[in-house]
Amino acid sequence: MAAIKLDGLTKDYGEVLANDDLSLTVESGEVFGYLGPNGAGKTTTIRMLLGFIKPTAGTAYVLGTDVRDRRALVDAKEKIGYLSDEPGFDEQATGREILDLHASVKGDKRSDHLLQLFDPPLERKIRDYSRGNVQKLGLVTTFMHEPNLVILDEPTSGLDPLMKQKFTEFLRSERDRGVTIFFSSHILSEVQRLCDRVGIIRRGQLVTVDPVQNLLRRSGKAVRIDSAEPIPMSTLDIDGVHAIETGDSNGDTLESGDTFTQCAFTYTGDINELVTILPESDLLDVSIEEAPLEDVFMRFYGDDSDV
Amino acid sequence: MFELFRYDGRNRIKGSIYLTIGMALLAGIIIWVYPSFSDAFGEDDLLEAYPDQLLQLFDIQTMASLEGFLAFEFYVFGWIILLGLYFAYSAASIIADDVDRGRIDSLLAMPVSRTRLLAERFAALIVPIGMVNLLIPPVVLIGAQLIDEPLSVPDIFAVHLLSIPYLFACAGIGILFSVIFDRVSIAQRVALGVTFALFLIESLVTDTDYELIGAIAPMRYYDPNEILLESTYDPFGPVILVVMTVGLVVVSQFWFARKDL
Repeated sequence: MAAIKLDGLTKDYGEVLANDDLSLTVESGEVFGYLGPNGAGKTTTIRMLLGFIKPTAGTAYVLGTDVRDRRALVDAKEKIGYLSDEPGFDEQATGREILDLHASVKGDKRSDHLLQLFDPPLERKIRDYSRGNVQKLGLVTTFMHEPNLVILDEPTSGLDPLMKQKFTEFLRSERDRGVTIFFSSHILSEVQRLCDRVGIIRRGQLVTVDPVQNLLRRSGKAVRIDSAEPIPMSTLDIDGVHAIETGDSNGDTLESGDTFTQCAFTYTGDINELVTILPESDLLDVSIEEAPLEDVFMRFYGDDSDV
Repeated sequence: MFELFRYDGRNRIKGSIYLTIGMALLAGIIIWVYPSFSDAFGEDDLLEAYPDQLLQLFDIQTMASLEGFLAFEFYVFGWIILLGLYFAYSAASIIADDVDRGRIDSLLAMPVSRTRLLAERFAALIVPIGMVNLLIPPVVLIGAQLIDEPLSVPDIFAVHLLSIPYLFACAGIGILFSVIFDRVSIAQRVALGVTFALFLIESLVTDTDYELIGAIAPMRYYDPNEILLESTYDPFGPVILVVMTVGLVVVSQFWFARKDL
């Protein structure tokens, strides 16, 4: 059974089409990254999955339950953990009181272990919590009832680097236990490290759903050329060259020109062809590297019309 | 079941104590000033100097007895108006505050239906409503004893017991606006405005051709004067108030369950 299935999921606010006919399936036990810039519609999708807002067309299923079936969805939540992008708790209560409430409603199988890991200050009132502490408490409430499916909206925001590291390790161990994880992010390195597959959403539309490896393959190479003598721009006039940045030997960026001595670009074509076009002149340096996922991501949601 | 009721009920204890202390002080002051007031009033001579509209607005029957004085100064003003507005205001924040401050997601991520969340949190208002109605009667009775104007014990308990459905009905007005508006400040202001408007309407249309309009106001079904001055308890009033409360809660649940948050 699919843990999550979006079936033409649409949320039309009239002036904004927040989610436009989204369809994808997240298999049980999978770690799925949901990527997109702010305002792309990630939170809208997630809030529909939890029944906070209703789809205007299409539907979605979580653990086999139609999100439009209010009663069944309440039951399904026994097995779902959710962390919102801005978790909010009763400011007057202490962390302990919040945990007790959650424990009484949905059960508590392992808050002790989670508290060792994330350690929010339980005796303090929520109104005195920092953003990071709220996030830590949120993580404990999300995982304390041993959910089968976890939906996390920007889970690492507010966490310091050390805590992010702990969180990443924790998510890996959860994945190894067979928990399905669906999380939204705009931080690509964590997605790259954790996810099996990635869906990219832009302006409410699903741009692509791909295994992370495919995405990296399609992302092409980052190429840098440093030459002693000027090279004509027309040399780079081949398929697969994107986002050219050129400069002269002083390192100043040139807006345009017929020649360059320094150049960086993304290359998605055949690497052999690239090698053949390189001039025989005096090259100082050439590097061809894996493009960072940031660049790939930029190409999916930046205003670059190459993709 | 009832976890949210217990949680909310516990959270309301502190506020309920402050509310009770405040109302006890009000009761104490009113009883304390009564003797000098009653000397000045004589046999309601002074009342005749009041405009009729004012007497009607506050349903002032007599000030020549402690019962009449209390009925107006404490029960009409303190209970019907002040507490009625307070509970409408308080209930208006029950849902809207969590929506406004973005806490509703954390609550509804739990396996809890919206209808249950609303019902349990509304029911937790029994803590302040119960506490104030349980602890004020002894204060009033002892105070009256101290100024040698003993009151009827059953009447005082009745006036409080019968106010419970009234206060819940006012809270019902609040909860309705709590689900209609996402901004807590708006929900609270509208709840206050509507509750006070209902009070005015019911007071002003009494004994006019438009009396029927006042039937929608909870204030019509709770009359401290009748209880304290005539010792008559209207059995239908509380029933209507309970029906009103249940109606308001059910409509609120229906609305809340279907709205986008």
